[in-house]
Amino acid sequence: MKLRPKLLPGLVLLVVTALSQSQEWKAPTAMKKLANGLTVVVSEDHSAPTFGLCISYGIGFRLEPEGRTGFAHLFEHMMFEGTPNAPKGVLDRVIEAGGGFLNGDTRYDFTEYIETAPISALEPMLWLEADRMKTLDFSEKNLDNQRAVVEEEVRVNVLNQPYGFFYAIDLPGKAFDTYPNAHNFYGEFKDLDAARIEDVKKFYEQYYNPNNAVLAIVGDVNTQDAFAKVEKYFASVPSRPTPPRPEVSEKPQTAERRSQQPDKLARIPAVAIGYRMPPRSSRDAVVGGVTGELLHNGQASLLYQKLVKEKQVAVSVNGGVNWPLGAPLVYNGPTLMVSFMTYPPNVTEDKLLAAFDEVVAELAKTAPSKEEVERVETKMRSDWYNELESPLDRASALSHAVLFDGKFDSVYQIPDEVAKVTPEEIRAFAAKYLVKTNRTIINRVPAPAADKGGAQ
Amino acid sequence: MKGLYLAFCLLLLSSALFAQKEQPLPKDMPPYGPEKPMPAPDVKIEKLDNGLTLWLVARPGLPKISSLVVVSGGLASDPKELPGISELLGRTVTTGTKSRTSKQIAEEMQGAGADLSAGSSRDITQVSASMLSAKMNQGLSVLADVVLNASFPDSEVDLAKRNLSSAIDAREAQPGFQANRALAKVLFKDGPYSVVGATKDSLAAMTAADLKKEYARRFRPDQAILIVVGDFSADKMLALVREKFGPWRAPAGPPVAPASVPSVEVEHAAFLVPRPQSVQTTLALAGLGPRRSDPDFEAAEVADGIYGGTFGSRLTLNIREDKGYTYSPGSFLQTLRSAGLVRTQADVRNAVTGASLNEIFYELNRMATTSPTDRELEQVKRNLVGIQAIQLQSRGGLVGELATLWVYGLPPGEIGEHGKKVAKVTAADVDAVARKYFGASRMAVIAVGEEKAVREQLTPLGLPIHPAP
Repeated sequence: MKLRPKLLPGLVLLVVTALSQSQEWKAPTAMKKLANGLTVVVSEDHSAPTFGLCISYGIGFRLEPEGRTGFAHLFEHMMFEGTPNAPKGVLDRVIEAGGGFLNGDTRYDFTEYIETAPISALEPMLWLEADRMKTLDFSEKNLDNQRAVVEEEVRVNVLNQPYGFFYAIDLPGKAFDTYPNAHNFYGEFKDLDAARIEDVKKFYEQYYNPNNAVLAIVGDVNTQDAFAKVEKYFASVPSRPTPPRPEVSEKPQTAERRSQQPDKLARIPAVAIGYRMPPRSSRDAVVGGVTGELLHNGQASLLYQKLVKEKQVAVSVNGGVNWPLGAPLVYNGPTLMVSFMTYPPNVTEDKLLAAFDEVVAELAKTAPSKEEVERVETKMRSDWYNELESPLDRASALSHAVLFDGKFDSVYQIPDEVAKVTPEEIRAFAAKYLVKTNRTIINRVPAPAADKGGAQ
Repeated sequence: MKGLYLAFCLLLLSSALFAQKEQPLPKDMPPYGPEKPMPAPDVKIEKLDNGLTLWLVARPGLPKISSLVVVSGGLASDPKELPGISELLGRTVTTGTKSRTSKQIAEEMQGAGADLSAGSSRDITQVSASMLSAKMNQGLSVLADVVLNASFPDSEVDLAKRNLSSAIDAREAQPGFQANRALAKVLFKDGPYSVVGATKDSLAAMTAADLKKEYARRFRPDQAILIVVGDFSADKMLALVREKFGPWRAPAGPPVAPASVPSVEVEHAAFLVPRPQSVQTTLALAGLGPRRSDPDFEAAEVADGIYGGTFGSRLTLNIREDKGYTYSPGSFLQTLRSAGLVRTQADVRNAVTGASLNEIFYELNRMATTSPTDRELEQVKRNLVGIQAIQLQSRGGLVGELATLWVYGLPPGEIGEHGKKVAKVTAADVDAVARKYFGASRMAVIAVGEEKAVREQLTPLGLPIHPAP
């Protein structure tokens, strides 16, 4: 049992003062593990009588079974479909009448369940979370219903949208070679259609275990009282074995990969470029995060200034490491630095890429100025604090960190780690990783509608 | 106490109407705990000599601040011959001042850890920056420079016009944009509120001189507010704001007049926007609703929450959780300064377009003809109060809510009043407001989708089908 000593208010003040030298901001936070393996993190915040809660399970797109693309996300929907004790609808009613809202998110390396409400709703919500960690209502009817809902979600977010999220779905598909990292995480309809209630049961038994989960509570709670409440409701959840995490690393890429896609809905062309990034635990990953923001973050970024302002070969530039599915340092397996650019129809793909390559080559040759790097690091500190502002977001950040590292320290240390990155490290990173043999490019071009006889 | 009482009610109120859907609450589940009062934010109100209104909220803690300048005049104030110039104004106001280039502005803001953005809604134009507290001097200096001294360099205006032109092309492909534009035309005809953005034609005619004229007309302290929320000392902030915004002067001309109250006649018909290759139909419905400052606004919020504005609403339970027609159905009250709308939207697969609209009509008419259950009423009221408290926790949420109040001419103290007003709403209030606003025949329907599919699907409903204007 690991329990951080509770900080006395005076002590907290001292700690904050001492840390202000390094600009670090942190909130009092404590962690504990229950006998069944559930890790619990609590951070007090008495600025409003509310709470944010996040349970992250160590399962995401990456480990969903072959032949069942999209299953981790479809499963996430099933977590809201009730249990034998609390049938479909109860969870929604209790959180809404409790004055709050809830949601779920599936990503490559976690699936999170989040809720926030006035503090009076905390206990029934803890009870309901513990309840759905024990068992679900494995109902065929609800599976059919949520399959239909998920397929509409895919239609509205992918199939009916220009660019169809290709920089997030198709780009990893081309950039990586193994199923865990390359498959369509939203799901092929044939796979979603093939999902059976037995798959739901098996997935639940394998991955939805207290020992594969981190519960974080942030808000108007007393730390010891919050631990006691969690113990009260979750201690009876049985521990089950979770399969060992399989190897998900990739063999190194050896050649540039380029392809072209038609887009029936887009009106102007777009390019997505993905460079493979180093593992998150390495120093290179932090440098990569800063490099990604130097290139992409806002109108001061190198790519915006060169491609949109100076050469005017792009209309918009977005991207960064782990973009668009998470913050630059919140991943736990192979990931990309993504650049997504729309460009004017009178500009060719080659012309855009030539300008892009010029920016990258310059970065690999000459280190950026100290001032430039400091600006980006300051912006990253500011952006990261946004992730910690609301109790809900802070609970989410804490639970992801503990899931990946077994400790929450990185949540408060990231800004200072980022601030240590030097211009020369960035240059060396660009020279090593931002090379053609390490990248994949998809050019997405508007395709004329198939029904040529239609309205012009 | 209230929590216990509510849990008790929830157990008893499984009415016959919802017999299949509503289950009793689990007997072992603990009840809600005691309610704690939600503290209203302490807003310091000041007015500078130049007429600038200041609302400041000091919140120790996370070392960031959010700042927002709002001025009167948005898309509805655009000159008749240049609809959508507000959009170009938002894209160019941050691209140069008398002493800073666009690159300097971007870099200095980045160095303050700031996100700088500018844009317009129908009634207002705004510039905002969220930054690190430690860098607020630098960040607010640049914000003030943009607000006081924007220079609209020709090269920046030309580039912004080209990129906005591409953005106009790009959004033509987005069904949500197509639906909103069509809705504005159907409801507001050629009136000020019909403008949702620039067109290729209007954009081509815009010049730097036009932008300077609009900027001078709107950006004046006597019709502006500066809102700052975050980790600062109020005295220091006030001094800083006086220094940076004190020199702002209003020109001699008249300020922008708010949009007049439009006369809206809603035709209950479907307006079709053809979208070849579409795999879904985007349905958008709207009828007249209350304005934010109207006395029945809170009752309408409750009605909207019961109908489609919450996840547990009738519409979501019906067409998503029961029938699986759509991922993200919903309703909301759209508030403009001089008009209010009741909106519904759902993206549904082509084959269930007619069935979905039938259910939407059913739920609208059910609102207009029957009373909500006590359980629905209580759930939505508690939800509205709680959600507001949660939103006001974040700097951005509080800044946004304060700006909304200012736009509608309400004092900041209204934040604390809102919850009390919601708590007083009765079933009879909801009945009255639903009868007034929610009947399906009060709604215009926009359908963006595959033309043949939409026509086939909607014909059995007997609704007139017109091409969207």
